[in-house]
Amino acid sequence: MATEVAQLFDAIARQHNADNTTDDPRFRAPLVVGGLDIAGVTRTVCGVSERSMPPAWYVALGISLCLLGMFGTCIGYLILTGVGVWGNNIPDAWGFGIVNFVFWVGIGHAGTLISAILYLFRQNWRTGINRMAEAMTIFAVMCAGVFPGIHVGRPWLAYYLFPIPNQMSLWPQFRSPLLWDVFAVGTYATVSLIFWYTGMVPDIATFRDRATSKIKQFVYGIFALGWNGSSRHWHRYERAYLILAALATPLVLSVHSVVSFDFAVSQVPGWHTTIFPPYFVAGAIYGGFAMVLCLVIPARELFGLKDVITKRHIDNMAKILLATSMMVGYSYLMEFFVAAYGNNKFERFTFFNRVFGPYWWGWCIMTFCNVVSPQIVWSKKLRSNMVILWIAAVFGNVGMWFERFEIIVTSLTRDFVPSSWHQFTPTWVDLCTLAGSFGLFGTMFCLFCKYLPTVAMAEVKTVLPQAHAHGGHLGPDAKRTDYRPDEHSDPDLDAPRFANR
Amino acid sequence: MKHVTQREYWRSLDHLANTPQVRELGKHEFASYDPEEMKSFGSVSRRRFMQLMSASMALAGLALSGCRRWPEEHLAPFTSRPHDSLPGVPRQYASIYEIDGVGRPLLITCFDGRPIKVDGNPLHPFSATVQGKIGSADAISQASVLDVYDPERSRTVVASGKETEWQLFVNQMKPLASSLAEKQGDGLAFLCEPSSSPSTGRLIAAVAAKYPKASWYEYAPLVSTNEASGIKQSIGRTARLNLHLDKAKVIVSIDADLLGSHPAHTRYAGDWAVGRRTADSGSMSRMYIAESVFSITGTVADGRLPSRPSRLGAILTAVASGLGVGSYPAVELSADEKPFVAAVIKDIQANSGAAVIAIGSHLPAELHALGLAINAKIGAIGATLTLLDAPDSAAGSINDLVTKMKAKGVDTLVMLGGNPVYDAPADLDFASALKNVANSIHLSLYYNETSHLVGWHVPKAHYLEAWGDARSWDGAVSVCQPTILPLFNGKTSDETLALIAGETELDSYSIVQKTFKSILTAGDFDLSFKKVLNAGLVDGSAFGLVNGVTPAAPASITVTPAAANFEIRFQQDSRVYDGRFANNGWLEELPDPLTKLVWDNAALVSVRDAKQAGINNGDILNLTVNGRSLQIAAYILPGQPLGVIGMSLGYGRTAAGNPIKDRELAVGDKVGFDSYTIRTVGSEFVAAGATMAKTGDTYPLAMTQNHHLMDEVGMEGRAERVGKDKYEDSDIIREAKLSEYAKDNKLFQRNEDGSIALPVYPPELFEPPMNYTTADKETTPHRWGMAIDMNSCIGCHACVTACQSENNIPIVGKDHAMNGRAMHWIRIDRYFKGEAEEPSPEVTYQPLTCQQCENAPCEQVCPVGATMHDTEGINVMVYNRCVGTRYCSNNCPYKVRRFNYLDFHSQDPRTDKYPKPYLGIPDQQQMDQVDKIKAMVFNPEVTVRMRGVMEKCNFCLQRIHNTQINKRNAGEELQDGDVVTACQQACPTQAIVFGDLADPNSKVSQWHKNNRAYGLLAETLNTRPRNRYLAKISNPPEA
Repeated sequence: MATEVAQLFDAIARQHNADNTTDDPRFRAPLVVGGLDIAGVTRTVCGVSERSMPPAWYVALGISLCLLGMFGTCIGYLILTGVGVWGNNIPDAWGFGIVNFVFWVGIGHAGTLISAILYLFRQNWRTGINRMAEAMTIFAVMCAGVFPGIHVGRPWLAYYLFPIPNQMSLWPQFRSPLLWDVFAVGTYATVSLIFWYTGMVPDIATFRDRATSKIKQFVYGIFALGWNGSSRHWHRYERAYLILAALATPLVLSVHSVVSFDFAVSQVPGWHTTIFPPYFVAGAIYGGFAMVLCLVIPARELFGLKDVITKRHIDNMAKILLATSMMVGYSYLMEFFVAAYGNNKFERFTFFNRVFGPYWWGWCIMTFCNVVSPQIVWSKKLRSNMVILWIAAVFGNVGMWFERFEIIVTSLTRDFVPSSWHQFTPTWVDLCTLAGSFGLFGTMFCLFCKYLPTVAMAEVKTVLPQAHAHGGHLGPDAKRTDYRPDEHSDPDLDAPRFANR
Repeated sequence: MKHVTQREYWRSLDHLANTPQVRELGKHEFASYDPEEMKSFGSVSRRRFMQLMSASMALAGLALSGCRRWPEEHLAPFTSRPHDSLPGVPRQYASIYEIDGVGRPLLITCFDGRPIKVDGNPLHPFSATVQGKIGSADAISQASVLDVYDPERSRTVVASGKETEWQLFVNQMKPLASSLAEKQGDGLAFLCEPSSSPSTGRLIAAVAAKYPKASWYEYAPLVSTNEASGIKQSIGRTARLNLHLDKAKVIVSIDADLLGSHPAHTRYAGDWAVGRRTADSGSMSRMYIAESVFSITGTVADGRLPSRPSRLGAILTAVASGLGVGSYPAVELSADEKPFVAAVIKDIQANSGAAVIAIGSHLPAELHALGLAINAKIGAIGATLTLLDAPDSAAGSINDLVTKMKAKGVDTLVMLGGNPVYDAPADLDFASALKNVANSIHLSLYYNETSHLVGWHVPKAHYLEAWGDARSWDGAVSVCQPTILPLFNGKTSDETLALIAGETELDSYSIVQKTFKSILTAGDFDLSFKKVLNAGLVDGSAFGLVNGVTPAAPASITVTPAAANFEIRFQQDSRVYDGRFANNGWLEELPDPLTKLVWDNAALVSVRDAKQAGINNGDILNLTVNGRSLQIAAYILPGQPLGVIGMSLGYGRTAAGNPIKDRELAVGDKVGFDSYTIRTVGSEFVAAGATMAKTGDTYPLAMTQNHHLMDEVGMEGRAERVGKDKYEDSDIIREAKLSEYAKDNKLFQRNEDGSIALPVYPPELFEPPMNYTTADKETTPHRWGMAIDMNSCIGCHACVTACQSENNIPIVGKDHAMNGRAMHWIRIDRYFKGEAEEPSPEVTYQPLTCQQCENAPCEQVCPVGATMHDTEGINVMVYNRCVGTRYCSNNCPYKVRRFNYLDFHSQDPRTDKYPKPYLGIPDQQQMDQVDKIKAMVFNPEVTVRMRGVMEKCNFCLQRIHNTQINKRNAGEELQDGDVVTACQQACPTQAIVFGDLADPNSKVSQWHKNNRAYGLLAETLNTRPRNRYLAKISNPPEA
């Protein structure tokens, strides 16, 4: 009997190995496939940076560096000439600068959500993707941080926004949401960075141990903080990680709520709404997950991480994408409802204008990308198709950018006094700066893939069956190395994968 | 050593020696300022480059010393201070600015020897309004101060294209003068601008005495002789009409833009406003206008009839017949014209002795004669209209001159001012006629189109640089006082004439003194001259009244049937006048009151004509008239009469000035379209038989307000806010008809259900004490506030220029204006109401400046506290704290904040879309970037803002504080009306009132309590603005 059960389970396990997205109540779907054991995970993940990079990486890095150069040039030109090189004008004093800022801050949400909230909720599948998501967060917040700094008229005085004791006895004005932004984004960036780095320490130690060159040993050694894998280290590490997760969790909600206050606290029709904080957070998570998908889908393909970042990971993220897209869609709907139901003609006009006014196309792009296109996730067939899902994720990013564009531009260009209504047209500097910010992001991400552990190895290992040697449904008799065959995996597990590359 | 003339002073021994180096230096007013220096940057040697680089590296390393901003100081102490002058204390001089023969009395404010502000002379009846002694001046006069510091002005005498100097000109003139004198001036011709100057008159007589055969011609493109000849025809003698609109209950204008382009419009507007101010007591004057192009006067008229120019005769004839003037065959009137004429007749008859009819100066002489006859019949003469004994000019017309030139009858032509090559009727072809003239001399402020073609070009002194005199509309003589020495060694017309006449007094001061010695004959001359300088006019020098004349109506009036083709109506431009101010950036960027166009003119086409021809705004049209054609962009103007294309003159200049540095264009070059090219003799003001065709090209027109071009959604939203129908009360524009308001004066405070609305919030945060006494004045802080009467605002934009001049506001250029970056702190919002296609939609002006909200949305969102309330309740900007997040602007519901997107002061408005990035820390001395001469116009009381800084109206804080300090020093109490803001001062109708709201008796407090007062969006947003608008009351004729 026991043998038959074991055989049945074995069969199910094999089936899961082929496709771990199915849910079988009798069996917990594996989060690492391809028969990777603990050493296999290390080999696979470390292999990403130890092997030479695939040509596509060089292409991506090359393009990113070009864009980064353009970014720097545009910023230099802007600072030396004036913010007037952008298309901003008087009704629309915030153009691309703030659109891009909110966009990138939003992107930065998924990382900490995945690593902190999902950690607290014991969602073990997070382990495969949290490192990349957190890295993405850090880089997105870096991009976001650039924009408020350069959008101000006198960037060299942007430090006035920080509460720095000074000889002028001047202090920031604490009623301004922009100041709240400084604190919210600053805190978020700090905590995210610490969280990311703390989680990386054991993996950097692994890199250190496997490093072949002196320089690598030295540098990784510095950053590994003397990690030696002792139980005491692990204990302290786990505690610290838990505390940071608890700290980071409220930040996920607070940052974009505070960013939304920039708008909600003002009295511009189309901005002045109470729905903004939850709406922005939902949108940010949607945008963040879309960006994670955009990065992870090609990365697992390129770097041979399909066994660690499995279809189930992608599947789960797609579902979150759908859920948050529907929250966003609901928010859009509620905005219109409140505008129609409320007795404020200015607000009513703003929403009417948003759909039928001069920027109707932006609204259409936003709605299509954020509400319509994610609906494909309902179909398992479509969401299992990585190309289609990737396109949907790209749409998600485009849609979220246009959401910010619509909120900022349509509301400002036509507010209270019709004499001051004016259109906004971006200049080439606007467009190049936006493209350039992707260069910064891409460069950072490419370098991250090359030089840092792209997957949280230590954490992935905890979700391997091997980490639960005496537990699990299979009991002590189960063989742990025979999950095969799998279309992705190499039959010869002992040989280093991609050794021939 | 070269001989130095007696009157010239020498600056140094080198100068006396007249060395070539000094001659070279003398060409530049500022030796250290070299317009060519920018060019030399390209040729830095390797060694110099290394020096500079190593020095800057070393400095950068010294504890960021490169980033520190130390004020750069230039000390220029007076070794002995000029008598009666205190550094930093502004001085004011009464003066007068003559344009086309009519002086505009002014008061010039000088700061340390630099004129920086032009206002009206409050002691002169033609700029002080009837209600108060605040001197107001129009936009053009105020902007003239910018011309003084225009680096593109002509700087040297030019002989046949080569730069030379005045002395050489003088030497050259001597043999010419003697040879002319031999011929008694045969072949000598003078082309002048119309002038009322007694000195000019005296010198002309002197020249004529020396050269009896010399011929005199006068030309100004906007001056028509029709009015003078019409009056002569009617009463048999010359006279000038002076209207008294304050006494008129009914004002009828036949295409006369009394409030906008009439030479006495500042006075007329003030008088007109008197009749509007009485709205609260239930009566108001009523103004009718039949006009061929939508004018300022048309926008504030109660009854308006847009009409073809050719129909105006018929309309006036019908009015005359209705009033029993003359006997003319009955004229056929259209359905639109009938009710207008009937209403005019009915109202005039009901207000006999309190009505007046004004005829546009460009209309045929017979209509002027008829108009005068009507005025006599309705008892206007002596009541609402006086006839002034003004002399007529004996000079010939430019047509006669060109005829003589073509016949080679002129060998020496002296042009004193003017620009005939550009603005003479196109068919005269002045340029080619000029080739027949052997010696041509042109005195001009700019090296313009005419200067390029003459033998001698002499730079003219700006009126703020030299002595002169002129008469205002009523004939009162004023002295034009210089406030600075000629920056570019210019000479006045009088000095040139004196030279030609061989006078002994060759400098402008002696010339004027000599003239005044014959005017001021009684008493001590020096004392009475000083009195004249002080008051700005000679008492009792106004023209006498012409009494006892009986105007005769002309026997017949030519009435033409409406033509099928288009009629083109050429008009004075509200900004560049006839083109002479084309190089003035303030005026170029001043929005036209109606079209809101900046840096352009356009062909104004009616909505229905445009629809029929499929024309959109900015389409290039090909207009053909009298065999000449012009390609010009179309602007669709609601209210423009059908079949009439309005076109303002003065654009499309090709030589508006000498571009400086590495610039390609002068400020006024190639701006807009040159409508002079289709303006011919006989159709100077109206050209009939024009055809219009679309070329298919489009042209970007820059407007500061473009909502009538909006999509349908925008149109609906706009109509919801400002009202869809004529006279409809709305959120933003509150208004009613007089009949409604007279019935219920609480009209504007009622809820929809008729109950009186109570303020949702207490209207002010700081109410004055209950029983306010004068003793409280000491203890209660001032609460500065403003009120603007929309009922008397005529949209003339004088306040905009006043503010620009007072507050050092930069111009931004067409590209940036088109992108909504114009920097004006006060703007006049112009709204059309009614259907776009209806013949005459209503126009309402709303001057919008910072509302100084007590609950200011901008203050709450500034992260660095750069905008906040001061102790007297003014929402102020702290420029050096501002980092430029622009959040305040977003949150301002009135959108009155302005942002320095670029360093607009140093940027060239024509050629740089973006200024060239300059290396170095941008937060360094900003003034290093601004042209040294241009910078002289800055008001030192007001910070010049650098780029990246937000700015806005602050109620002329500097004026408030200066007045307070002066009063305190004098031990006096601050009285209501002591503090006058720049916009308030400029307003000819005194529609703006400023003062202390803490004093319940102040005028502004009274206006705030007026039944018509409302705060813009105050109930909606709880901003508690310190500015109140008084609702507009219209007095349309009852149907």
